Amino acid sequence: MLETIDIKATYASPAIRFEPQSKTLHIAGESYPENSFDFYAPVLKWLKAYLQQADELVLDIAVTYMNSSSTKCTFDIMDAMEDAFSRGVKTSIVWRYNRQNPRSYEMAEDFREEVTFPFEKEALN
Amino acid sequence: MDLYELRDEFDRTGTLMCFNGPFYHSIIEEFGKAIRSYLTADNIAQEALMDVFAVYIELAQNIRNYHTLRGACGLEAASSIITIGRNGKGYKVSSGNVVLNSDLDALCGRVDGLNAMTGDELKSEYRRQRRREVPPEALGAGLGLLEIARRSSDDMTYVVRELDAGRKFFSLTVYL
Repeated sequence: MLETIDIKATYASPAIRFEPQSKTLHIAGESYPENSFDFYAPVLKWLKAYLQQADELVLDIAVTYMNSSSTKCTFDIMDAMEDAFSRGVKTSIVWRYNRQNPRSYEMAEDFREEVTFPFEKEALN
Repeated sequence: MDLYELRDEFDRTGTLMCFNGPFYHSIIEEFGKAIRSYLTADNIAQEALMDVFAVYIELAQNIRNYHTLRGACGLEAASSIITIGRNGKGYKVSSGNVVLNSDLDALCGRVDGLNAMTGDELKSEYRRQRRREVPPEALGAGLGLLEIARRSSDDMTYVVRELDAGRKFFSLTVYL
């Protein structure tokens, strides 16, 4: 059995938690840690292992601000999901944006353009 | 110490906030909080606030990463400066730090290159760069200045000042 993932939020890094029942990986908070690659490395490692043995994954992401290196890491996560999708895994994204901040909607659009699997945008507020 | 002239210079240039010192992550985070409280009190739109904050974070983390990378060259301890100021109806964010001569041409070339790009070109460049492999020793994804250019409302400007035989002081201003 694959270990689950549960990272607590800090001021500059999001909470990351997997919920096995709904097969959902939640990422919530803001993301500009000191070293984004170090921060996201265990997440990406876990995700790739999970996607090898799973039939479904929902990424529920409520990150209204991320710095550029976190953007890169998020893109890598979505790349792994795209790869699994092409192998028949049911991957999808729910991206929660902040209605008061048009930039967070633009960011969602930027990401949506990069994937072919289902990508849904929902307002946070 | 008479701080009047320093304060006068801040007033003259529309500077609202300034941090001068070493850019540790905890300091970057704390000054970021201060910027957000200050601008929230200034009744700024959420979008503009996040633009100022994002440009500040990219500039500060760029400098932090550069100094970590060039630590062996004695830059680690070098203090850097960042200011947030008013620019007409908008804002400007400036940063200043020591740069080795050998890195200067690439840096200026990068800023000039981004200034010359249209919004659409910046977007495609962003997508290209995001797909590039990051070298293992890199601390960033090489996206910082691109992210800044995408948010800025005008060309970035910079000033280079001679420090000694091997080093320059590089000041960069971003308009929002």
